[in-house]
Amino acid sequence: MNDRFQMVGILEKKTASEVKSHSWYKEHPVISEVLLGLLILGCLFAKGIMTKDPTYMDLLHYATPPGKEFLFGTDTMGRDIFSMIWYGGRVSLFIGVLSTVITTVLAILVGSISGLASERVDTLIMRFTEILLAIPGLLLIIFIQAILGQANVFSISFVIGITGWMSMAKVIRTEVKQLRDSEYILAARMMGGNFFYVLWHHLAPNFISSIMFMVVMHVRSAIVAESTLSFMGIGLPLEVISWGSMLSLSEKALLSGNWWIIVIPGLFLVGTLVCITQIGNYIRKRGNTTQSVL
Amino acid sequence: MSLIEIKNLNVNYKTTRGEVHAVRGVNLSVAKGEVLAIVGESGCGKSALLKSVMGLMPANAVATGQVSAFDRELVSLREKEWQGIRGKQISMLFQDPMTTLNPTMTIGSQIAEALLIHHPKMEKEKVRKRVYELLSLVGIKKPEVRAKQYPYQFSGGMRQRSVLAIAIANEPELLLADEPTTALDVTVQAQILGLLQEIQKKLNMTTILVSHDLRVVSSIADRVAVMYAGKIVEIGTRDEIFTDPRHPYTWGLLRSLPEYSQGKEMLFTIPGMPPDLRQDFVGDAFAPRNRYALQIDYEEEPPLFAVSDTHKAATWLLDERAPRVDFSTMDMVHEVSMEEHEHAPRNHGEDPKKPLVSVNHLTKDFVLPGKKKMTAVKDVSFSIMPGEIFGLVGESGSGKSTVARCIMNAYTDFEGEIFYADIPLHERVARRRERRRLSTERQMIFQDSASSLNGRMKISDIVTEPFRIRHEKPKRGSLKKEAAYQLSYVGMDEGYLNKHPGELSGGQRQRVAIARAVATDPKLLIADEPIAALDVSIQAQIINLFKHLQVEHGFSILFIAHDLAMVRFLCDRVGVMVDGEMVEMGETEEIFSNPQHAYTKELLAAIPKIGKERP
Amino acid sequence: MIRYYGGKILIFIVSIFVLSFLVFTVSRMAPGDPLVSYYGDRVEKMTLEEREHAENRLGLRDPMLTQYQRFLEKSMQGDFGISYKYKRSATEVVLDRLPYTLVLGGVGFVLIFSLALLLGIVCAVHEDRLLDQIICKVGTVTSCIPEFWVSLMLILIFAVELKLLPSSGAHSLRVDTLSDRLLHLILPMTVVVLGHLWYYAYMIRNKILEEIRRDYVLLAKAKGLSKRKILYRHCVRNMIPSYLSLMAISVPHILGGTYIVETVFSFPGIGTLAYESARFHDYNLLMLLSLLSGMVVILGNMVAQIINERIDPRIRAKEAMHER
Repeated sequence: MNDRFQMVGILEKKTASEVKSHSWYKEHPVISEVLLGLLILGCLFAKGIMTKDPTYMDLLHYATPPGKEFLFGTDTMGRDIFSMIWYGGRVSLFIGVLSTVITTVLAILVGSISGLASERVDTLIMRFTEILLAIPGLLLIIFIQAILGQANVFSISFVIGITGWMSMAKVIRTEVKQLRDSEYILAARMMGGNFFYVLWHHLAPNFISSIMFMVVMHVRSAIVAESTLSFMGIGLPLEVISWGSMLSLSEKALLSGNWWIIVIPGLFLVGTLVCITQIGNYIRKRGNTTQSVL
Repeated sequence: MSLIEIKNLNVNYKTTRGEVHAVRGVNLSVAKGEVLAIVGESGCGKSALLKSVMGLMPANAVATGQVSAFDRELVSLREKEWQGIRGKQISMLFQDPMTTLNPTMTIGSQIAEALLIHHPKMEKEKVRKRVYELLSLVGIKKPEVRAKQYPYQFSGGMRQRSVLAIAIANEPELLLADEPTTALDVTVQAQILGLLQEIQKKLNMTTILVSHDLRVVSSIADRVAVMYAGKIVEIGTRDEIFTDPRHPYTWGLLRSLPEYSQGKEMLFTIPGMPPDLRQDFVGDAFAPRNRYALQIDYEEEPPLFAVSDTHKAATWLLDERAPRVDFSTMDMVHEVSMEEHEHAPRNHGEDPKKPLVSVNHLTKDFVLPGKKKMTAVKDVSFSIMPGEIFGLVGESGSGKSTVARCIMNAYTDFEGEIFYADIPLHERVARRRERRRLSTERQMIFQDSASSLNGRMKISDIVTEPFRIRHEKPKRGSLKKEAAYQLSYVGMDEGYLNKHPGELSGGQRQRVAIARAVATDPKLLIADEPIAALDVSIQAQIINLFKHLQVEHGFSILFIAHDLAMVRFLCDRVGVMVDGEMVEMGETEEIFSNPQHAYTKELLAAIPKIGKERP
Repeated sequence: MIRYYGGKILIFIVSIFVLSFLVFTVSRMAPGDPLVSYYGDRVEKMTLEEREHAENRLGLRDPMLTQYQRFLEKSMQGDFGISYKYKRSATEVVLDRLPYTLVLGGVGFVLIFSLALLLGIVCAVHEDRLLDQIICKVGTVTSCIPEFWVSLMLILIFAVELKLLPSSGAHSLRVDTLSDRLLHLILPMTVVVLGHLWYYAYMIRNKILEEIRRDYVLLAKAKGLSKRKILYRHCVRNMIPSYLSLMAISVPHILGGTYIVETVFSFPGIGTLAYESARFHDYNLLMLLSLLSGMVVILGNMVAQIINERIDPRIRAKEAMHER
């Protein structure tokens, strides 16, 4: 009994109950991720899924409601909507991604220059950015596109890309400014790290995570912009099939009450946008867990 | 007659990473008019205990047990009932006065709000009068003017005074103070403590004060409770705790104060670090850090043994079957005089008479937005000899960090001269030419280890960053081996190599930062408040590490701090800075025993003395 | 004070000047034939001489700088030239259409911001509880739907299928009563509000949530204030300056939103006009409309800035910190 009171000093710590790690799917927007994945796969392998040639105008079966032969019906020009959706999705998603790449590159350039530049240059760039930011983006795109005239896939991505970098650039600038003064950057510089070392090893990994959300959201607004432009008749022409150009037939469809021409491509469009938003929101919410004290 | 009685109080927090048992079965009673201090390291549950007494826990916390005060049972109160008690019978002082006041409301209206909540029918004129009265009570001059100002027009100390004015607006019976002086400068700290004491006496307010600083506690408390891992491990009157501690933790805490190790080679330390409160403890939670732990400490939780009527401690060492260990603190003070001046002369193969760093007439201005100029450092000159530890002391904003950053060339647009060995650091060409040597021989350690380590990098990558930057082959062969070696050198095992800074405690992060700094065998180490953000027991560990490394490597250290006792323990020479100027400089002992400048005198007087009688 | 506002006015004038120059050159360098909007299809049958004559008449042959100079001189006197398409003074054309857009945008603006504040507060109060979750989900989905498609769906349901509401125009042919006009407003207004509501509501929700996590809430609670009072007297109150500046910045965004809605519903506002003028190179009209929109944008921005710098003590706190 008494040996329990023997002095033993510090013993190797016994196994502390390890905190259970979370299952990876917890709080992930699983449904959105799966749906978006399927949609992207469907668009990539559109050839295998399509039941008809999406560009073929079957004048005998124009504006046919959904049925066995035409799963989602045909449009007013007799094209098969089911096939067009997968085929056109490629264009819509491509424009979304390409213009986001342009935007992100521009934003990183402007943001880091402004964040690293002297006070005066920084203020100048930021004032300019703020004014551009105050102009509604979609409106700017419409005006530039309206002035430029007929568009193709690349010009439209370009226009959307160069008009959307402002808010992202602002975030990057704030981030760079904060990081620039942070002590581990200072430490790296004192250890002899040059500008590119700091940029590559410290700055980039940090602000990439903080703009991920905006990048994802830009894909969304680019897809919206393309469809709006095409719908208004200043985007992609009818022959280039995209979700937007499919919807540009909707005014005719409205008059004749062919709802499927409007509703089905629209649902795909909105579904994609919702999925992207969910994923974006998930990215934003990660790591933000302060508790309310109220 | 006790005013408040706490019985078997438990507080649990639900977090995404498991449930935290912040308070585990605490029993306490506080008598009317008494000042009880609760001491402990960060994360020991002292703050949670205090907040649960006032029902101020965040939404994810649950408190169970009993807290009875004012003939009521508080734990089960509903929000509506709480509102009648808060601010009227119980008030609270918070840690950071810079953020606790609403920035968009005037000070006066925030005080008035506290009055009107409980006296909705009070006349306007009366409210105004009372606000002025409260402001002058807490020592704010010209209350008529000050009441109309916003928090940003107040200094930190003034803000804490205003928060105190809000707290005592309705003359509550119980005042809770959560680290009320921690965020303040030393001299301001002393003023606020004095004020708190004065008002406590005037209003005969029962006070529960929470602090990690034993000195603060010793100057103001009637009774002291020591908390560890959510439990009260020892409680007694102030004198009992400070002169006759019975729990090895209490004793260790006191022992690790630099005052008790003056003149010795090393500080006393408590090994290890505070436990994670997410686990279930078997036995005594302190056992894994206790050099005197008994076998039973690992098996069974110790009860509170009574030492006297007022003094209780929870350790098996007090059981009659346990071996006797003497924990008195009386002799610790005596040891000091006996072991004075034991420093071994440090020789490092360099000319010891030639300074390693000399700073001549350094002045640094900052241009603020609006083209205003602010002089952070005014005509400062000093030098650091090889192998010397030079301390730089001053309040926040006194320019100490700016001096450090000028020496490190983080700022290059300063006036005056700085020489590192023979290299003129104020000359661009020389800096360029000797870039490689400078980046190896000069290293810096920062206050906030969280921000000085990139949270996205692994520990092994952080430690070997200097080698990767210079594409150098490390001495130990591979980067991995080098990292493991450097970590073991600062007392951490290989298991940490693949972790990220976020998974480490503050003390461990600071060790990593030190490992990174010494990896290149520097000749000059600049440490900018390296221990300010750490717990007492960890501070001692880090200071010992500095001392150990210094003896081993023989480098010079520029040690910047506001903790005078630590400076006194560690440094050979000290410089005191006020508003960007060096007002006093000399051998450490000389400065401390015979301060010349008024500010130095004030600074030294402001340190609460342990064990001395209360004024 | 005088210097502060004087500076602002100067910036405003310079910005407008730069904007006018940019729009002027860009629109003129863009491909397209401005004569089409004046003469319509006849342009294709014109001989070279006729073309030359027409271009001279419209002053399109002069060097760009001369043209710009002429524009500046005339516009100072309030003369913005004629619209090629409508063959009337551009100012008149715009004034005809302006009220429609102001009603659509103005009422929409008020609705959006009152509803957004309401929704934001409701969500913040019920943070992460069922009501908040439902509103957030519904809000996210509505904010994802492109405005033109919402318009199409609303037309399809309420105009084509149910035949309850008119699908286009500001009033019926030959009928011009208040109730008829209101009826025509319902669908476009719904789209304008739906298109922006969640964006602002969510922003307000998050701002409030940010506020209630600040330390001063603990002090307010320690005073004995009720949750309600803390929320309204402290948190919402502290959010008001940013709310106001948000409103100022969003004026052009909401007006811009009406442009798209107008084209879908063939609503005779500024939006349709602007779209046409840009598409068919109706230079004078385009200039006037760009300047008007630009003025709204810059004014909105400035008001927001003034609110931030002058009303919010926190900004002054930051300045004070720099001074120390």
